[in-house]
This record gives sequence, C-alpha cells and structure tokens, in this order.
Amino acid sequence: MSALDRCLNVYDLRAAAKRRLPRAVFEFVDRGSEDGIAVANNRNAFERIKLRHRALVDVSGRTMNTTLFGKPVSMPMAIAPTGAAGLCWHEGELELAKAAAKAKIPFTLATGAMTSMEKIAQEAGPGVGGRLWFQLYVWNKREMAYQLIERAHRNGFEALIVTVDTIVPPNREYNTHNGFIAPYKPNVTFAIDIMRHPLWFTNVLMKYLTTIGMPRNENYPDEYKRLSRDDPNTHQMTRQDSLNWEDIKIFRDKWPGILMIKGINRPDDALKAIEYGVDGIVVSNHGGRNMDSVVASLDVLPEIAEAVGERLTVILDSGVRRGSDIAKALALGAKAVLTGRATLYGTAVGGTAGAFKAISLIRNELDKTMAYTGCRSVDEVTTDIFFGGRQGNRLFERVMDEAAF
Amino acid sequence: MANLDHCLNVWDLRAAAQRRLPKGVFEFVDRATEDHIAVANNRSAFERIKLRHRALVDVSGRSVATTLFGKPASLPMAIAPTGAAGLCWHEGELELARAAAKAQIPLTLSTASMTPMEKIAAVGGRLWFQLYVWKRRDLSHQLIERANRNGFEALIVTVDSPVGANREYNTHNGFGLPFNPTVRFTLDMMRHPSWTTSVMMRYFTAGRFPRHENYPDEYQKSILSGVGSRDGMRADSLAWDDIAKFRDIWPGVLMLKGVNRPDDAIKALSYGVDGIVVSNHGGRNMDSAAATLDVLPEIAEAVGDKMTLILDSGVRRGSDIVKALALGAKAVLTGRATLYGTAVGGEAGALKAISILKNEADKTMAYTGCRSVDEVSSDIFWGYREGNRLMGA
Repeated sequence: MSALDRCLNVYDLRAAAKRRLPRAVFEFVDRGSEDGIAVANNRNAFERIKLRHRALVDVSGRTMNTTLFGKPVSMPMAIAPTGAAGLCWHEGELELAKAAAKAKIPFTLATGAMTSMEKIAQEAGPGVGGRLWFQLYVWNKREMAYQLIERAHRNGFEALIVTVDTIVPPNREYNTHNGFIAPYKPNVTFAIDIMRHPLWFTNVLMKYLTTIGMPRNENYPDEYKRLSRDDPNTHQMTRQDSLNWEDIKIFRDKWPGILMIKGINRPDDALKAIEYGVDGIVVSNHGGRNMDSVVASLDVLPEIAEAVGERLTVILDSGVRRGSDIAKALALGAKAVLTGRATLYGTAVGGTAGAFKAISLIRNELDKTMAYTGCRSVDEVTTDIFFGGRQGNRLFERVMDEAAF
Repeated sequence: MANLDHCLNVWDLRAAAQRRLPKGVFEFVDRATEDHIAVANNRSAFERIKLRHRALVDVSGRSVATTLFGKPASLPMAIAPTGAAGLCWHEGELELARAAAKAQIPLTLSTASMTPMEKIAAVGGRLWFQLYVWKRRDLSHQLIERANRNGFEALIVTVDSPVGANREYNTHNGFGLPFNPTVRFTLDMMRHPSWTTSVMMRYFTAGRFPRHENYPDEYQKSILSGVGSRDGMRADSLAWDDIAKFRDIWPGVLMLKGVNRPDDAIKALSYGVDGIVVSNHGGRNMDSAAATLDVLPEIAEAVGDKMTLILDSGVRRGSDIVKALALGAKAVLTGRATLYGTAVGGEAGALKAISILKNEADKTMAYTGCRSVDEVSSDIFWGYREGNRLMGA
C-alpha cells in the first residue's frame, strides 16, 4: 500500500504532506497568520452547523453535477489559486491542473505560480478538457497586470479572478522563523530543513536546479521574475494598497471573459461588484492567511448571498476540508467552493494522483452527505437540511436550540 | 469476575473493553465517523442539560419500570441493534439477549448479527428485529417473514444508512465486516491473546467462522471471506413505498430508526408506523448530524402523543435516560454501553452495564423527586421551556 492509499481523508493527506515536505514549505501551505485564529474559526463555522438525516428518499439516482458560468462541472468545486504547489511537487501546478482536468473541475493558476501559464494551457487546458482560471495580484505598476491579463487571454483562460484581500503583506511570522522567504534565497535555517527532507530535496528541488535553477515566479514579466526582498525597489513595485474600484473598471474593459473578485466579505462590496459588471465573487478570507481577526467566510456568506441573489455567481473558500462543508456552503447560498490547502496536501503526497485523490475524497464525502440528507441534486441542497432556526438563507437564532442549553 | 467488579460505570466498562479487545474490534464499536464531531456532540447535548434537586418528596416507593407498546419493561430502555456483539464475546448476541431477558428489557437483533434469529428466539424475552433493506427487496421480505415466524414482536427499519459511512479507522485498522484477515489485524489479534483464544478460537474450533447468520444464503459470507456483500446491501433507493409494503406484511410493531425531522415523523405516522427511533446511528454515519437529544423535542411536539418515540445515540449514564424522557421519549436504546459490558463479561458484563444505567436512572429520579417515569418531565430541568422545548435559562 503506498502512502497515498493509506490516506482516507484530507487530514491523512495533511499528515503525509507534513512528513514529506520541509517544515518551511509545509507551514507555508498549512498555517494562517499571526495566532492562527482565523484558520480555526473557519473550521468551527463549518463544524457547528448540524444537519439532519432525511428518511426514505430514493437517492439512488443522485448526482453532484452542476454548472459554473454556464459550463458543466462534475461537482461544485474548483481549485483555488495557491503559490506553493510548485514547491509541494516538481511542477506541482501542472500536476494539480491535470488532476482538476481529469476530475472535470476548474483550476485556478495564481499570479505567483512557478509554472508558466503557457505550459498549463498546453498540458491541462481546454485541449484536454480542462477549465482554466487565472488569479491576478495587482501591483503598483499596473502595466504588469495588464500584460498578464492579455497573456492569460491569449492562452485561453476562461476567467480572471482579481484578489482584493491582500493589499498589504500579512504577518506570517512562521515564514521568517523558518527562514522561508520567497523568492527563495538559501539561508541556514531553511538549508538544514531541506537536508532533513532528502526525498523532497531530490524529487522537487533538484529537478528545478538541474533544469531552470531555483524555482521562480514564471508568470511575472522577465524584469520581475527574480525580485529580491533585499532590493529597495521591490517593495515599491509590489505594493497593492492603491487597488480600487477604478481598477476593476479597467479590468472589465480589458478582459472579455468571466471576471471574478476574490476576497469579498461584505454585502455592500458584493453589490458594488455587480455595478462594475463583475460576474462572480469569491467569499474568502484567504484561508485565514491574511487578517487573523477576520470573520469566517461561511458566516458572512448568507448576507452576501441574500444581497446579490441570482445576479452574481457566489463562490466560497477558506476552510473546506470535508465534503459536508460543500453541502453547507451550497445551502447558505454558494454555487461552489474553492479548495486550496486540501488539494495542495494531495499534490505534496502524490502529484497529480495525490491531488486527484484529495478531490475524490471530498467528492465522496459530499455524495454521502447528500444521500444522508436526502438531496438528489445540488439544487436540492438548501438550509432545509439544517438543524436550527433559519429564515430564508440565513441561520439565525440558534440560541433557541443551542445557547439555551 | 474481578475485572467486572472493578467497573462501576459505563466508562469503566469501556476502558476494560479497550484493554480486552483487539484495536480493530474496539474501535469498530467505540468510534464513529470522520472527525468524530457527531459522537462528541451527542454527549454534549446530554451533558449541557442541567437538572434541579426537588426537595422533600417521599420517593421511597419510586419505580423506573414502564410499558413499551403495551408490555412491561423494567426500565425505559432496550438494547439497540449492533453488528459486533459476536466479536466482543463468543456468541455475544446470545449473551446480550440473555442479559436483556434477565433484566426484562427488549433486545434488538441486528440484520448484521452473527447469531441466527432462531437461536436468539430460543432465549425468550422481548425480541425486536432490525432490518437493513437490501437491493433485492424479495430477500428483505423473506427476512421479515422469518422474524415473524420466530416470534419477534417488533420490526425496526433503519432509514439513516442509505450509503455506507466514512469510518476511516476501520481501514487503518485493517478491519471491516466482512473483513480480510489483513496483516495489521492479525498482528492486532496477536497482541490480544486472551480475546483470540476466548472469542476467535472458539469460533474456529466450532468449525464455523463468525458470519452474518441472518443473511439469505446468497449473501451469507463468513466475515473472514473477504468478499464484500456491500453492493448487495446498498439500499439508497429505500423509500416510503417500501414502508407501505413492510406495513402490509409485518403484523407486529413497526418502527423506523434514524428519523431526525418532524416532517418525516409525521409521514411515518401516516404510513401506520407504531414508533420511531430518533437516532443518528450513534454518530456513526453523518458527522454533521444534529444531536438526537436536540432534535427530539420538535419531533415529540409533532407526533409525541400519537406514536412511541425512542431515542438513541449517546446514552452513557442513567441521567441521560431521564433527560430523554423529559424531552418526550418513551425509552432509549443503548448500543455501545451494553457492548462494552458484553466485551468485558459476556452476559454478566451486559447485565452489569444495564444495572449500572438502571441504578443511575433511579438515583436521578430520586434526586429530582420523580416517583415514576410518568412524573419525569422538563419540569425537573433548569431553564425556561415552552412545551417540551428548552428555550432559555
């Protein structure tokens, strides 16, 4: 039995990834920011929602198939943009993208990916049944963003996701403690860490070193590919705190495809997104990796879903580890979820096979949750399956059932 | 038996069972599903209900006895259907059935048990039969007829298991029903020689591996055969029409187990069902399941006076029984608690578990000033309530 066969849930994949990856890489993927409060709260938000078994509905013909932006997906999920897949496995983004294509769900390539969008498009794009989305960080020098957008369009990416929740770099203190500062500069702490993980060194890092050198941000324009934190100009160039709605207007003009904003937490922002012609929003707190005091994305979802109704496609991320989480997000108004860490753990354990395993595990769990709650299609997943008072989409007054005790 | 004498509550029995059983068997009994949120939440639901002492009621004549479906039970409790009693003790279902008969409470035999129902019927007592419905309905109908021929008084149809649960620990432990004799489980058995000798070897020497004795011949496989019958058992097409059919062919008491919603309970009533078990399968199926004690009041409000409500999932103390009664249940089922007992001492151990719970229920009734189970109401609760429902403190 291989390591992958022994992994029966996302937590098993996480444990296997932890053994395999240098601590610095694992923690970069796994941890949040500051005190890790937001990450834990994201999980609590899912876990405190209780469902009820529905008796005696013939669910033998149930299906998780749905559509996202008018096109079919095998389940209401897509792969979130993440920067470290390429450190979890050699050319990890490509492995992950292939798994997504095989599973018939969209894959989002991050601005900070270590595989070029050309390569992703060629090997995991529409040609092989893949649906590709591109995530954009907007830097001070807007020209770079415009170049990226155009390039993404040329490469057949169907959607552009602009991240709006990362306007200042978060306090991920563990990265500094671990000597892990992108772009990757050798330092003693990280070097020792790597030596403790010879398999990773051989299978991941060496494969880069013998081909392209140190892994780098392949989608940055050449002049930015090897930005150094020590370079005083870097900070000026990469700051994002001037990003505003006018930028969205420009992106809307320049980008003919599906436009999404990632990191919406407020109904008023969601309504504004509609005004600007945005097609979808990702209700996200960046996996709890940015603001540690942030509210759970599942908790803000109902208000936002109520506000925008059918006018926007609402996607949720941050904290999805079990298939039941997807059912809960759908019930509260999301059309789909993104998974970041879950599929990265899988990638770290087995490349494409590992990522596919992660997707399959979550899929199987969602299927069972739907069966237990008597839902034959994702459209039947509503708050009716919840235990607890509710009004429309909204879980309210749980005090009646819970706090009273 | 000294070991049993040291056990003063269900948790002690659990600890003793854990020492005695191979890890694969113990965890099959003890654990639940996925992240074990449901099983913990079931316990929390009981533990967060607070009671008040009632002063100066003469409770010297109190009794925990009750009636279930018109017949007496010494305690508002029955034994839940479980599949692994036969692995906790040699012919464990038989031991458990004898304990239940002695304690004068009903025993439920599971479809997946390892003792044929004919043998259980010979023990006497009040017998209920639990049904998993197979894809081939004719085989299920045959099983119902067999239960009827053998004098089982009630049929309990499980409706919360349309799909198998993610019990990942079983795979990690190399354990499954039916299971492969995996290397991992073999090592596990070797670490528990007294279990291997007293349980497994006795099956071996009797020339018959433990098997699902109540399955029709074509499904009947030794649990060691390694050939799964899961596909045949899959019943995700189970629907209300099946209940109508069961109602037609089953003349006795008919119950549904795994009802969690008032609307489902009302529907059950319209199908002529006599009782429902408000259950989340001991938290073993859907890890997001609401605690059964939390959903009970709504269901009791909806149908409580028209059908018999039984609660299971999480009962470990006699006070839990009292709380369930107060919120509208007529009785509870115990699964794990009596299995721990069976694992520690067969019939004597199961009887010990029942006695412990009975004693605790008796003390709780005394403290709260209840002289009979009819006097147990949410009046003994601390907290504001409306009808059966606890609204706020």
